[in-house]
Amino acid sequence: MPSFALSLVVFLPLAGAVLVMLLPRGEGGQHKGVALVTSLVTLAASLPLWLDFHPAGKYAFEQKAEWAPALGISYHIGLDGVALLLVMLTTFLGPIVILSSWKSIQSRVKEYCVALLVLETAMLGTLAALDLVLFYVFWEAMLIPMYLLIGVWGSERRIYAAVKFFLFTFVGSVLMLLAIFWLWSNSGPAGARTFDYVTILSQGALPAEKQKWLFLAFALAFAIKVPIFPLHTWLPDAHTEAPAAGSILLAGVMLKMGTFGFIRYAMPLFPHAAKEWAPVIGVLGVIGIVYGSFMCMAQTDLKRLIAYSSVAHLGFVMLGLSALTVEAASGAVLQMVNHGISTGALFLMIGYLYERTHTRDLAAYGGLARVAPALAAVFVVITLSSIGLPGTNGFVGEFLILIGTFTARGLGTWQIGSFEFGKGVTLSVIGATGVILGAVYMLWMVQRVFFGPMRKAAQHGVPDLTVREWATVIPLLVAIVWIGAYPQPLLNVIKAPVDDFVQRVARPDGPRVRQLRQRGEAPPRGGEAPIQFLPPAKMAQPQPGLEGR
Amino acid sequence: MSFNANDLFGVLPAIILSVGALVLLTSEVFLSTARAAALAPRSPGELAPAQTATAPEISRTQPDRRYQAWLAAGVAALGLWAALAQLGDPAIPIFSGAAMSDGFGRVVAATVCGALLLSCLVAFGYLEALRATRGEFYALALFSAAGMCLLAQATDLILVFVSLEVMSLAIYALCAYLRRGKRPAEAAFKYFILGSFASAIFLYGTALGFGATGSTRLADIAAGVRLAATSGGPVGSGGLLFASVALLSAGFAFKVAAVPFHMWVPDVYDGAPAPVTGFMAAGVKAAAFAVLVRILVSGFGDPSSSIGPRGWQQIVIGLAALTMLFGNLLAVPQRSVKRMLAYSSIAHAGYLLVAVAAMGNAPSRPDATQGLLFYLASYGATVIGAFGVVALIERKLAMTGAGDDLSSWAGLSERHPALAAAMSLFMISLAGVPPTAGFMAKLTVFRAAIEADLAPLAIFGVITSVAGLYYYLRVVVYVYMVPEARADAISGGRTLSASIALAGCALIVLWMGVAPGSFATLIQSASATFGR
Repeated sequence: MPSFALSLVVFLPLAGAVLVMLLPRGEGGQHKGVALVTSLVTLAASLPLWLDFHPAGKYAFEQKAEWAPALGISYHIGLDGVALLLVMLTTFLGPIVILSSWKSIQSRVKEYCVALLVLETAMLGTLAALDLVLFYVFWEAMLIPMYLLIGVWGSERRIYAAVKFFLFTFVGSVLMLLAIFWLWSNSGPAGARTFDYVTILSQGALPAEKQKWLFLAFALAFAIKVPIFPLHTWLPDAHTEAPAAGSILLAGVMLKMGTFGFIRYAMPLFPHAAKEWAPVIGVLGVIGIVYGSFMCMAQTDLKRLIAYSSVAHLGFVMLGLSALTVEAASGAVLQMVNHGISTGALFLMIGYLYERTHTRDLAAYGGLARVAPALAAVFVVITLSSIGLPGTNGFVGEFLILIGTFTARGLGTWQIGSFEFGKGVTLSVIGATGVILGAVYMLWMVQRVFFGPMRKAAQHGVPDLTVREWATVIPLLVAIVWIGAYPQPLLNVIKAPVDDFVQRVARPDGPRVRQLRQRGEAPPRGGEAPIQFLPPAKMAQPQPGLEGR
Repeated sequence: MSFNANDLFGVLPAIILSVGALVLLTSEVFLSTARAAALAPRSPGELAPAQTATAPEISRTQPDRRYQAWLAAGVAALGLWAALAQLGDPAIPIFSGAAMSDGFGRVVAATVCGALLLSCLVAFGYLEALRATRGEFYALALFSAAGMCLLAQATDLILVFVSLEVMSLAIYALCAYLRRGKRPAEAAFKYFILGSFASAIFLYGTALGFGATGSTRLADIAAGVRLAATSGGPVGSGGLLFASVALLSAGFAFKVAAVPFHMWVPDVYDGAPAPVTGFMAAGVKAAAFAVLVRILVSGFGDPSSSIGPRGWQQIVIGLAALTMLFGNLLAVPQRSVKRMLAYSSIAHAGYLLVAVAAMGNAPSRPDATQGLLFYLASYGATVIGAFGVVALIERKLAMTGAGDDLSSWAGLSERHPALAAAMSLFMISLAGVPPTAGFMAKLTVFRAAIEADLAPLAIFGVITSVAGLYYYLRVVVYVYMVPEARADAISGGRTLSASIALAGCALIVLWMGVAPGSFATLIQSASATFGR
């Protein structure tokens, strides 16, 4: 495995974009053809990453090169299991997205292909980066092509949605940038400072009282991207107005960047603050689940409905991350992938429906199963996976999250009168209602679209799936069933990073204790185990007087 | 003052620029009398780029002046080369301490020469299209650039004043260059009156400083500041020095367009020819910031003094906050792209002031200097590019007689995809979104601010930059997303040299954004100028 294997995957789409730019403008499929071939080659190049994933240390396929040493920035990339899964998801969705827009995009095809390919590179780079500035550069670079995708090829209110999308995500990110600078200025003496994530992480946790603001700055950036209630309002607009391909990538990969940011950056870098704020994140996640589900029921626009279902599903992911147990965190990571596949597939199908009927209004639909049975059948399978029916991928993730949250004792308890509620138990019980609500709104939607009397949209006949469309749908169906039946390979891959994440955040003083031992100082009384239940503020400074014991 | 011939090497860029300007002026004498009469008019349709004075003429009455643009650009390139060639040399005081030949001054001189080079190329087709090819344009531009280069090196307040006036007078004239119409006259007059006012304030500050220390040399003033801090100076010199630094700062706050000294900016930027505006935004800003930093840090930078950094740092922080806030907020409602860029230039002055404020703390000075120089260069390349595109659009507007409004940008991407992409790149860079120079510039500046414990100012700064994003994105919206109302391509004159300039700007913006290390290494020696 060459050392630049990961760089190759990250920058292949960009090379394809340059190639597309060099092609002459004009009709015909040459731009889409090059884009499709590029994304397929990227997928092929990423397969060895999956097959040959044996990280010696924390990260596999690590590559480190100088980028701007005068500024303390390095080109440092690598993958842990979580990032690997999301990279595979991205390269997997790439060809599907381009194939899906073969017919629907007819204007400015060249720019469209360039935007899609640049977006793919930016997303892959965000996942692979191990330098904070490199990460931030890719993170922001995602915004520009997505902004253009929504704003140029979107539907009626596209400009409003595009600007709102860009502004919302930008607001969160700039504060994160300042927090990154703060980490830099504390990473060593002048002249030896670094933006390298691995180095900063290995320096151990910052003093607990300093973590709060830094954590909040990071968390705000990621929370907007996820999006966590109440910062979600950009999402329905962006999803609804974006072209189908934009929605698929937005739901499939881009929202995961927020949750990925929590698990990779916000929580491990500031474990004390993360532990302190975990119940808040959990509560907001549960609110997202319930609120998103109810909002779904009230929608009359198909895409808006799916957009709100994303809010609910990502509420599950955040709930899983906040529980700080291995099961819940594994479930959360799995659910990121699942949501990418099932919601991506839903947007794909709705894109196909829209191509045929030119409406997203639920009231115009009805009885489609009679004219397009295959389309209906595929849609139903995807819906079931989105609901989380056992045997599909959605079930595994939600199940793990709920069970992991139910058993989470580290979150503490709420006192109401003389009653004491475990936070984990309460959150998981309320979260579980989301599963039922999910079934309600999704099945309701399927019923109104595909069954019942034929309405306006179906009356002029709706053609069934074409060969090209089957080619985009079948990989997704296979993934749904495969992960549903046998999720173990995925769980194996994410085990190490998830264990590490839970270890680091649930016991914020663990690594610190190890560090003290290495330096030959006595660890605080009692070793590691009981420490986790003490409030972090008290553990920040090594307590005087312990050395003598 | 003893004079040493070797000192002239220290101001080589300024000398090259002045000599170039004189050559241009002299050539004009021969051109207007002899050649205009001698050359027979030929067809104006030939599109070959002009290399020599014998190329075909534009009109019957006007002699061909296309060689001037290329000559001026060549001189600017020579100045750029001179500044860069000296970059690694050690810092030496020249003209018995009235000026410094150091890395800081050289980088600023290089920035100014680069800005001049790009602006000349932008101006070439523009002046032709507007039938305004008179002889003095490039000579004036070269003179002002020479003043800027000197300004960046001056360490004596008298020399600062002289070079300031050399720069300013040339720029006043350039603003009024289009003569016809109300707006250029208004712009130039406003700029002249307010600029003279600022010079007077600056002089007043100089006089007070002289009164307190008996010298106009920054080194002597620094000694006076140190004395005053330990109460060893003459009675009352502390108060005098404080008044002096406040007035000196106010004088340059005019030049850099800091709020509340910014009133002239929108009208002047709007009324001046677009290539001149770009040059002003890049060059004047660079020179004025360079000398401001030199006065504040070399003259009043002693950290032990109460009228030193802790004193002026508060002034600069206040100015920076006000400038970032009002610059960005006032840009939001603008419909004219030129006025929007004018307010955006105010906002960027605010970000640059953040770097100046970070220089108040001695440990963060190297990083703050690096941030300032990086920001000046990246802003220069971006803003000249942006005004270059505006200049192309303005040509078309001058043909059709329409007003400068965002709606004339609608659908630009359909007719001119490359131009649209370049404009969007410049807007994204001004907004500070990676992977562009603007982002790396903000990175270096805000990093220095965090290092200097100015976190509240940095937070305030990035929040105002979100407002900035809104109005920059609006241009992108019009360029890419709003369908065009009328289809009329850009016409009027040659676009080759402007294309070269725009491509150059775009490449610099991308290069500084993608490979910031190479530029940071280039200016490394300069960053250490104030590192003590």
